[in-house]
Amino acid sequence: MAKIRCDHCHLEFDESVMIEDGSGGEKKYFCCRGCQGIYHLLKSEGLDSFYDKLGNTKLNPPSEKKDDDLEKFDLEGFKKKYVKIRDDGFYEISLIMEGIHCSACVWLNEKVLHQTDGIIEASINYTNNKAKVVWDPDVITLSKIIETIRSIGYNAYPYDPSLQESRAVQKRKEYYARILVAVFATMNIMWIAIAQYVGFFTGMRADIKNVLNIAEFVLATPTLFYSGWIYYRGAYYGIKNRFVNMDLLVATGATLAYIYSLYAMITQKGEVYFDSVTMIITFVLVGKYLEVLSKKQAVDTLDSLLGTAPTEVTVIKDNEKSLVLVENVEPKDIIEVKPGERIVIDGIVVSGGASFDESSLTGESEPVYKKEGDEILSGSICLDSVVRYEAKKDFSTSLLATIANLLEDSITKKPKIEKLANVVSGYFSVTILSISLLTFLGWFLLYGSLEKSLIVAISVIVIACPCALGLATPMATLLGISTAAKKGILFKEASFLETMAKSDILVLDKTGTITKGKPSVVSFEKLKDFDINSLYSLVLTSNHPISRGVLNYLLETCEDLKEVPLNNIKSVEAKGIEAEYTDKKIIGGNLELLKKNGIDFYMESENSLFIFAFGGEVKAVFELKDEIKEDATEAILKIKELGIKTVMLTGDNEKTALKVAKEIGVDEVYAKLLPQDKFSYVEKLHEKGSIVVMAGDGINDSLALSCSDIAIAMGSGADIAISVSDVVLMDEKPMNLYLAYKISKRSYRIVKENIALSVIYNIIAVPVAVMGFVNPLVAALSMSLSSLLVVGNSFRIRKDR
Amino acid sequence: MSSGIVAMMLGVSTFLGALGLAALLWGLKTGQFDDTSKFLDGARFDGEEELRDAVMMEEKKKKALEKKREDKRVMPD
Repeated sequence: MAKIRCDHCHLEFDESVMIEDGSGGEKKYFCCRGCQGIYHLLKSEGLDSFYDKLGNTKLNPPSEKKDDDLEKFDLEGFKKKYVKIRDDGFYEISLIMEGIHCSACVWLNEKVLHQTDGIIEASINYTNNKAKVVWDPDVITLSKIIETIRSIGYNAYPYDPSLQESRAVQKRKEYYARILVAVFATMNIMWIAIAQYVGFFTGMRADIKNVLNIAEFVLATPTLFYSGWIYYRGAYYGIKNRFVNMDLLVATGATLAYIYSLYAMITQKGEVYFDSVTMIITFVLVGKYLEVLSKKQAVDTLDSLLGTAPTEVTVIKDNEKSLVLVENVEPKDIIEVKPGERIVIDGIVVSGGASFDESSLTGESEPVYKKEGDEILSGSICLDSVVRYEAKKDFSTSLLATIANLLEDSITKKPKIEKLANVVSGYFSVTILSISLLTFLGWFLLYGSLEKSLIVAISVIVIACPCALGLATPMATLLGISTAAKKGILFKEASFLETMAKSDILVLDKTGTITKGKPSVVSFEKLKDFDINSLYSLVLTSNHPISRGVLNYLLETCEDLKEVPLNNIKSVEAKGIEAEYTDKKIIGGNLELLKKNGIDFYMESENSLFIFAFGGEVKAVFELKDEIKEDATEAILKIKELGIKTVMLTGDNEKTALKVAKEIGVDEVYAKLLPQDKFSYVEKLHEKGSIVVMAGDGINDSLALSCSDIAIAMGSGADIAISVSDVVLMDEKPMNLYLAYKISKRSYRIVKENIALSVIYNIIAVPVAVMGFVNPLVAALSMSLSSLLVVGNSFRIRKDR
Repeated sequence: MSSGIVAMMLGVSTFLGALGLAALLWGLKTGQFDDTSKFLDGARFDGEEELRDAVMMEEKKKKALEKKREDKRVMPD
């Protein structure tokens, strides 16, 4: 059959399933009513130029309309939480848009919102799919706005913009603006300064020199007081907390040089140091900016986790339904959930039964069926029917809120390891400031000239100013991060490189980290002949890892597999699948499922079993095993060679755990652990003073991940595990664990080299300055050279070895 | 060369540069560089119609604000 492209979403389907539509003169094809509806809506609104802009991009067909939750957007609790009331009386909200594929989607959404009455402003950010909408509450309600967005096939949910992320963006912007000013001034001052340097050797008319001095003064002033404001602020906080930091050194150096240059300019005696002032500020500011850039990004999954959570729930009291703010729900209240709603309060089902999607908690994509007496956890989504349950906890102690708090804590309260550069720069600043003071006293006592002594003392601070030291760490770590990122290892913050390089113990989870987490068939025994297509069709109906394993095996070994129609397909929780084929019952699953169906069959195995029976007769047996990832053994060996102790923690039974541990050669293994046990094990290591790196992928690891010094998550793991982690491995090879270690160790070594280089530079330059040999040219040259040296050295991280 | 000419040359060129810097800072402050992809694609979707839209939005805002003010004036009665 010919494939035909849907005229709205551009996905291709068989001709037979397409909806034909000839109403517009031309014949159009659509894959579903949703696409058809949107196409006509856009056409009648005169927005069909959307399709020209779209080009060949494919869209998601609109999801089934579920407008029954619209009313929640107009509730008081919702408004209090997400809507900002502006001074001019308009309302403002931040939304996350769903379904944005290309810039044409952005265009369409903005266009449609702009044409809607009562919307004052709507702007959508294509890069992060976030939108800001401002509207007039007298003309339009928020639910109407959301409905408009949904009517064209997209969706939107609110998020709280006061989260860390927007603060980080704000800070980055501020630094960027200051850098722009500093770079502009420095570049201009440099070409003026070159004229000055030439004049220094060949002589220059006093009036020309004056003009140049004034021009430099004009450029240096905004740099010092606008771009350099950061140092004054930093130095102030440093002094307030009674320690000397690099900010103080930079601020003192730049200010003194500026004041002296001002004096030299007015009295027309000596040389001005305006170029040094701007250069110091620019170089160190670039270093600081790199640091800000590589700060850990706040967690967007947190936004979407809480953003889709309802702010009010339906509580049943005396047979009457009422909407109650989630904060006001008390334990023992009876709550009703409708399909599609997210649970916000933990509880136990009292009537009804439904499937729940727990993927945001466990990472497991299979829905779980819950009936009376079963516990439901907040964060899961009710999928198919109405359920009433009794609240067991209030909102703040429910799992969803606990996880959110845990995440926020893990971002702010990570065990901090003191960074080498901070330690060095503290001592460095104290030393330079005292040397400068001593120089001043020495020169004054020896020669008695106040002016000369002051110049020399200032030149000591200026030349020692830590341009190189300021760039040493950020430059190296940023390059380390980008090198790692190219290999699919995402460090969320630069400083994690240093922490990881210092660590001495690696804690590993088993499933998904060392093993594939996807069982595959290790032996297949055909007991009797049977129609392989019926088995193929049966395993096709389930998403369970075991069925998937069998399916993959069939696809690899058999040819010409055809899907045959099955009736009454039923999946039995934790047992297997049942169905009917040509009036006979076929089942596939474990021993318990056979027992349940009254089939007498037994077999001993240390692996998982998948048994296929047709019409009450066992036909085939598959043994499946969770395989160890290919390079796990080699990776563990190499990590051990780095002098790092490896420990495996698993919730699995001891037999399997020991077998895997022996095969890959970890130093220690602990089995049958609950999430809390893993957590307390890591805590115990902390007490012993170890720096712990933990690698894992599931919700059961996330507690332990959140308290380890460095948490490594697998890219396909549970959202929560990824959120609390510091490093994410996109490619789940254990070898990448070793690579992450290698890159962090290499970066740390370069950081140390850089710091050593800048200290050596100062050991040479400071005595020269103390002796009074420094003029503006020497200061500028030595400053640029030392910075170049550090930057050049950092690039060695990229070299593959 | 007299110092006056040097001063003028320096002044004019620095001023021109500063204008560029000010424009860049203004763009940064108003969020025009926040979204790189939109910034680049913007050129493709720019036209007379978009300009009309922008004008329409401004008028809409003005009208809504005026209405608000009128409402307030009526209210005290």
